[in-house]
Amino acid sequence: MNSSFVKKVSISLLALSLAACGSSGSGGSGSADTETEGVDAMEAYGCNVINVYNWGEYIGEDVVSNFEELYNAKVNYDMFDSNESMYTKLMGGSSYDLLVPSDYMIERLLMEDMLQKLDLSKIPNISALDPDVVDMQKVYDPTLEYSVPYFHGSVGLVYNTNNVDPAEIEEKGWDILLDEKYKNKVYMYDSQRDSFMIAFKALGYSMNTSDDAEIQAAYEWLRKVHETVSPAYVTDEVIDAMAYPNANDPKDIAVVYSGDAAYIIAENPDMDYIEPKQGTNVWSDGMVIPKNASCPALANEFINFVLTYDSSYDNSITVGYTSSNLEVSEELSTTEFDGIDAYVPRVGYEKDEVFRYNSVLVQKLSDLWNKVKIN
Amino acid sequence: MKSFSKMVYPYVIWAAAMIVMPMLMIVLYAFTVKGNSVLTFQFTFDNFIRFFSDPVFPGVLWRSLKLAVITTVICIAIGYPSAYIIAKLKPNSQAMMILLITLPTWINMLVRTYAWRGILSNFPISGEIKVYIGMLYNFLPFMILQIYTSLSKIDPNLIVAAHDLGANNRETFRRVILPLSLPGVVSGITLVFLPAVSSFFIPKLLGGGQYVLIGNLIEDYFISTGDWNFGSAISLIMAIIILISMYITRKLDRKSAEAEAD
Repeated sequence: MNSSFVKKVSISLLALSLAACGSSGSGGSGSADTETEGVDAMEAYGCNVINVYNWGEYIGEDVVSNFEELYNAKVNYDMFDSNESMYTKLMGGSSYDLLVPSDYMIERLLMEDMLQKLDLSKIPNISALDPDVVDMQKVYDPTLEYSVPYFHGSVGLVYNTNNVDPAEIEEKGWDILLDEKYKNKVYMYDSQRDSFMIAFKALGYSMNTSDDAEIQAAYEWLRKVHETVSPAYVTDEVIDAMAYPNANDPKDIAVVYSGDAAYIIAENPDMDYIEPKQGTNVWSDGMVIPKNASCPALANEFINFVLTYDSSYDNSITVGYTSSNLEVSEELSTTEFDGIDAYVPRVGYEKDEVFRYNSVLVQKLSDLWNKVKIN
Repeated sequence: MKSFSKMVYPYVIWAAAMIVMPMLMIVLYAFTVKGNSVLTFQFTFDNFIRFFSDPVFPGVLWRSLKLAVITTVICIAIGYPSAYIIAKLKPNSQAMMILLITLPTWINMLVRTYAWRGILSNFPISGEIKVYIGMLYNFLPFMILQIYTSLSKIDPNLIVAAHDLGANNRETFRRVILPLSLPGVVSGITLVFLPAVSSFFIPKLLGGGQYVLIGNLIEDYFISTGDWNFGSAISLIMAIIILISMYITRKLDRKSAEAEAD
């Protein structure tokens, strides 16, 4: 990672610890109290090891070690790179105490009866959650008993303000991907879900449609993008490629998640982020405990610990994604990520939607997405 | 000697658990309907019908075969003369050249392909050409080594004898050296064609995500889509194609062995 970024983070952390000292002296300023008191996990719960399965590069540097110290516990921390590969691993019989899947995957795990209810009495810190994020959570976890939001965000376009007119991209939204000017200058995600979302939204449909005519139209829209701007279909390498552009092959526009955009813009001030006017996918990733967890009590404590101000701050400033802890996201949007719109994803816009799980659609869209990519 | 035959048992167990079992599961998945329950099977040909009813999938298969064939042909075209020249050098220089050719393979293939991505991003060439460059770079050493091995095994007296019997250089090459080196070419083909037809990370890394091959399709249906049944069907189709091509190369090998016996 870039050393200036690390420096920035450590300075901010230093500032934070000073600020925390100051505020604890003044005895709380009306904000939600999210302190945790450690217990010895073995004494309290009879087990002191939890297996956590989270996205890669998705946690603060000290969160796990602080938790281990506070609870005299051991955290085995594994990482996945897609919801589907996580699900495949679960199906293969792997046992975890805590997962952090996305909304639609939580919906699927709930449908397949693979999650256990959280012990909300152990998670008092849910009072710190952003109410807008809880609204989103109701879509996939209606009783709010099975998951706790971790990060949330949107999907949008990062663009180089030197080469793309902000007024033009604002005006065209997703349709800028059909502009010949940007031939060979575009990155798209190699993901049928994100790409079809864009096509559905560009055409004014719901991204959760299963109407065959709308799917066909979306396929044709993506083919047109493929033929017009010939995008490079990439995955996480888009983050580095936009933050530190290759001098010989710089791209002007990239489809990215809001948190990655916040990181890119913090690194590269030439870049900016928009959520297109046609609407987009707003999402949240949540912490859940599978049915076969071996130490669920401690996993509940871990969830509570992640929600504390300090852990949420550490997570959010390290990764760039928007914290579900309202106080943290408000603080960071005026400090570290001041002026970076991507850190504050749009909420409550009527054209934005949460992705829903639909197994029939997944298969149809996979076949079509392969057809889009094949010349 | 008989007691040594027992030493094969660990391998038999290994092969059963790690090769035969997974193969059987792929066959099972390929002919069944998707579902979470492993205990109730519902047999179907739908996965294969789905593959062949849409021209896109056979198109990808065709493209993968084309890539593998072209890669193999270019590997022979470059590899044979290189191996021939090396085999004619002094023994010390030969060892040096072989060391130079094997040296890159000491580094992991994935790492080298990443390096190529960095290098090739500086040039305005299409993803397809980049994939071909990456394939050639990775597979050429296998071809050179195989051909070199069979060329260096040729008894120099045979060449002297051919000259004694009145053959000129060209005839000696055509009627003595080439037939004797064919087994090397055939095993080179096996070592290049088979991995080339199923490669997926070279096209993925160098093709900018726009160059989909059969290996990428299989990966996609297993990992991203979670459709193991269709993924297995594609794997099985590819396995059959590999079996057919192995059969053909073995026939070639036998022919060249017969030529040697003549």
